[in-house]
Amino acid sequence: MNKYSKTLAIGEHMCYTCGEHQFRYGRKKVQSVKIQQEMTLMEKLSILTDAAKYDVACTSSGTDRRGNKKDMGNCLAAGLCHTFAADGRCVSLLKILFTNECIFNCAYCQNNCNSDVPRASFTPEEVCTLTMEFYRRNYIEGLFLSSGILISPGYTMELIYQTICRLRNVYHFNGYIHVKAIPGADPALIQKTGFLADRMSINLELPTADGLKKLAPCKSRNTILRPMRQIQNSIAENKNELVVYRKAPQFVPAGQSTQMIIGATPESDFQIMSVAEALYHNFDLKRVFYSAFINVHPDADLPVLPGGPPLLREHRLYQADWLLRYYHFTVDELLSEDRPDFNIYLDPKCDWALRHLDFFPVEINRASRRTLLRVPGIGYKSAERIVKARRTCCLDFSDLKKIGVVLKRALYFITCSGKMMYNTKIDEDYICSCLMADRTQIPREIREGGYRQISLFDSATPGESAVTQEELIRSEAVAGA
Amino acid sequence: MWTFGGQGETGRMCALRGGVFMYIFICEDSLEGIFTGVYDACASRLGHRNIHLASGEPENYELFSEYIRVTPSAEKTQKVVSTLISRFGRQFYESICQAAMSGERRSRKKMDKADAIYETILLALACGDGQKVLLSLGEPCVYRVFELCRATNREACQHLQFLRFSELENGVLFATIHPKDHILPLLAEHFSDRLPAENFMIYDAPHRLAAVHKASGGYALADAGELDHDKIKRYSGDELEYRKLWLAFFDHIAIDSRRNPALQMQMIPKRYWADTPELSRF
Repeated sequence: MNKYSKTLAIGEHMCYTCGEHQFRYGRKKVQSVKIQQEMTLMEKLSILTDAAKYDVACTSSGTDRRGNKKDMGNCLAAGLCHTFAADGRCVSLLKILFTNECIFNCAYCQNNCNSDVPRASFTPEEVCTLTMEFYRRNYIEGLFLSSGILISPGYTMELIYQTICRLRNVYHFNGYIHVKAIPGADPALIQKTGFLADRMSINLELPTADGLKKLAPCKSRNTILRPMRQIQNSIAENKNELVVYRKAPQFVPAGQSTQMIIGATPESDFQIMSVAEALYHNFDLKRVFYSAFINVHPDADLPVLPGGPPLLREHRLYQADWLLRYYHFTVDELLSEDRPDFNIYLDPKCDWALRHLDFFPVEINRASRRTLLRVPGIGYKSAERIVKARRTCCLDFSDLKKIGVVLKRALYFITCSGKMMYNTKIDEDYICSCLMADRTQIPREIREGGYRQISLFDSATPGESAVTQEELIRSEAVAGA
Repeated sequence: MWTFGGQGETGRMCALRGGVFMYIFICEDSLEGIFTGVYDACASRLGHRNIHLASGEPENYELFSEYIRVTPSAEKTQKVVSTLISRFGRQFYESICQAAMSGERRSRKKMDKADAIYETILLALACGDGQKVLLSLGEPCVYRVFELCRATNREACQHLQFLRFSELENGVLFATIHPKDHILPLLAEHFSDRLPAENFMIYDAPHRLAAVHKASGGYALADAGELDHDKIKRYSGDELEYRKLWLAFFDHIAIDSRRNPALQMQMIPKRYWADTPELSRF
């Protein structure tokens, strides 16, 4: 146990800025408890949900665990999303912070010790009841527990461990649990927590060490990567153990993930994707999440984003991320030093295909699965179906449509029994303008002019500007490709 | 092309599709009904090419077709089920069941559900490998089964996500759903595994069916025609409080600067809203 835990019972703290955090060491403890007691569960939940909402990793996938016939809960490998919030993001887990009190001063975070937000802490008991009651009503798929740094990383990790331990062993919860490992916490604690959680994550926060130093001076690359390596090694060890002893306890069965903030620092997409690729290769991560930066409080170091968070960029990064994980692409193929950012008009796969027309057309009835995966409009599932279906018969374009291939995108790149669908040219400009002619291919942000700065002295009428906008898109897309 | 045979049955076998002369087996729109139809059609020895199956009464009767009504029989169903499982494996059987459970409205443009299942089973019998048959999507009947199966699966999966239980006065968890397909067994299976120690009941309102699960026991499907609608509105003391907490959580988890109602609607279509407290605010 931590040396502070004797003077303070778990969760009995309340302070408004961490500048005053000495008083939590005992002197004004009574006062802080009083503030805590006035707060209802509803208020706490509101505050701590608000505090957790910028974390993106809300997935419940990766573990397949049947129920054990007596305890509540099971897990599905594909994961389930229980509802979708007003921003269209899925709500799969009860995503909360244990406490939003924090001694760190990360500039991008609304819970940093200098910001003026209401602070609250749950007790382990409250987190457990909320999880159990929400879970049995089928509101959630499990718990996502993160926390601000209360007193010290070790102390916070201990609190998280206590909560999870209670949930698993006292409440016998058998559903999905995702916890954050706190950078700088005792490795033994992280190890213990790993045996109770399904997924663990440590946020990389910013893609480069420089960015981290600037915006999160309390964190360092080293303290983040060390526990990541530890979890990776433990998972590998545990897998070997499970081969020998089938019933051995599982360590982080759904793997670990991380997240990066996009747009707070001037890194290029190429840098970000290279970091992601390195994480997948060297740390065996299951997922890397990208979170469009949202400026929650004014800070001189942070960019002002008049057009809102860079959602389209985030979307392109996710698309590329899937290409890395499921489509056997490498970052070097998609981007380079000379072209460091993704084409905002075309998705990364189309973009790649247009720059590698020598690779096409691909013969559907003969091409390997890997080759099929490179064709725009053919996804992971359709490639699988094509490979299986062509064993029995020769596939035609109508069969491809049934299989689920998006022909309006794929038709420029494929042949069936040596024939193309229509008489099309294999020419970059031609294909690009054809793809652009389909308005649904253009991202909504651009279609609706989200990228256009509205000026007070703008004289063009709306009708005119729509036309020029469209022409602009087309010409820029061709130039970009 | 008309072929006149000798006498009796064969004389009427004018094996032309397109409704010239056919034996049409009308089965009940249920798993048992369709499987009995399949059994009867095979046992009738009228020639597979002359047989169609219909799930439910046809809108229009054809002049030269003979209509045969099928009475569902548990024994015949059992025979078909055991043949399917033993010869083609569990996965094939499950795909067929999921297709049969689909509640898609019959339309003249698309192949009838029972007919698609019948022909797929015939193909599998001829080929001997069920999995292989299910992959040959070039066949219209197989494609139809695939389509139905995919729709049912999607519907079931959506309901696993969007179904909401409320705790009643007597501690029973109760949920109402409005599915298009007969997905209740799939849901009951999932929730029995997930909540083994709870008494719960899922009420399928359009089909007037209920799945009832008893703590540490199995589940049963029951006719819910006489459900007590007052009793299911009497919630336990905690219920409203947890519902409020859930609503608060739901409201606070959204990021204002990313607001996107269109995306939300795309991910959770409006027809699910009525049964979820956070979107209907009941």
